[in-house]
Amino acid sequence: MADDDQRLAEFQARIDRGEKVEAEDWMPDDYRRQLIRLIAMHGISEIMGTLPEKEWVPKAPTLYRKLAIMAKVQDEEGHGQLLIRVAEDLLEPLGQNREDLFEDLFAGRLKFHNVFHMPAPTWADAGIIGWLVDGAAIVTQSMLLSGSYAPYGRALTRIVEEEGFHIHHGESICVSLAEGTPAQRAMLQDALERWWPALMTFFGPREGTHLSTHQQQNLRWRIRTKTNEELRQRFLTKFVGRIRSLGLIIPDPILRFDETTRQWHYREPDWDEFRRIIHNHGPMSQERLYLRQLTYDEGRWVREVLSKNARRSA
Amino acid sequence: MKEDKLGFDAYEVFAQTDSMRPHEHQFSLLAPNPEMALTLAKENFLRRSNITSIWVVRRDHIVKSQPADRAQFARLDKSYRMKQSYSGLADTWRKYKTMPLPPIKDSASANVASEDCADDD
Repeated sequence: MADDDQRLAEFQARIDRGEKVEAEDWMPDDYRRQLIRLIAMHGISEIMGTLPEKEWVPKAPTLYRKLAIMAKVQDEEGHGQLLIRVAEDLLEPLGQNREDLFEDLFAGRLKFHNVFHMPAPTWADAGIIGWLVDGAAIVTQSMLLSGSYAPYGRALTRIVEEEGFHIHHGESICVSLAEGTPAQRAMLQDALERWWPALMTFFGPREGTHLSTHQQQNLRWRIRTKTNEELRQRFLTKFVGRIRSLGLIIPDPILRFDETTRQWHYREPDWDEFRRIIHNHGPMSQERLYLRQLTYDEGRWVREVLSKNARRSA
Repeated sequence: MKEDKLGFDAYEVFAQTDSMRPHEHQFSLLAPNPEMALTLAKENFLRRSNITSIWVVRRDHIVKSQPADRAQFARLDKSYRMKQSYSGLADTWRKYKTMPLPPIKDSASANVASEDCADDD
């Protein structure tokens, strides 16, 4: 027991010195568990996140937009693959791999990001996803970049680079619509109203609430370096001005920046609704999970044919 | 597997200079086994550098693209995947920062909105 305490103290000291941890280094079981939870959720969310957007690949308004949104969907799929590999290296000592992650997803044990449970009924939704959902993601990911686990940091370096393109693609769609006809502008406003509640809950609840049990430990281990609320404030600072400059009206009558506290005030999001959504009771949760599982099941024979185990037994 | 007269193998050496950087190819060397390859990489060639990690890979374990692929990589236009294709956005945001677009009217009635809702360019 004393040995364990010693090891734990040494590990914490490494983190405090700003050292990075590699997959083969000793790490506390709970550090590994928190990383798996975070990275698996991130990776699976990238993959689930392609589902609302891929609906718009065949319906994109121009060939250029079609190429761009297709490129974005491919990027997200690639991010999922990169992250799942990072998670698999952490899962290996536990005898698990991506199959277990997908089983967990289908069984409701592994959650995916709240925004990807929402519908994307118009082209403006594709724009808002690119601009503001990816914009929110980049706020989180830029923070995670400086985390203590090096393999995740390296994967994020690549991911954040590509997200930069996604945001520009989304901005460009939103600007075109905002400069467009009254109907196009109204479509953009509708999409913003649809997405705003999900964007405000995107970063999760404030610390100290029953929904945010892991924040403090993860801060100590530098798995993360900012709280949910700090990230939400950063998001608002980054985007509110630009959203309003397009003539868009943010559906929160009390949203304002307090110059004395240097904080944004906003209407408290509906956290019960957030909880329902991430427990797969969102408007599109079941349909998206069904699609994902269908692909997974229909692709099983391919994985089996390609598997080394299959070749050996043949 | 190709061996030289001594029965040594060619190894490619990769090294990382910072935990957040990828491993980068450095050079190749000849060695009788992987352990020797690692030692030689470390002691003969990377004495001076600040290295966080070294990988040695036997060359015949590397699968490479073919020289003919080079032309094909270069020929594809990837501009639609690039952030740089949207460089005009910076000016757009500057413009709207000083001169915002008019507010979008109540969206439910926007289809019948009056002229003042039309765009200004």
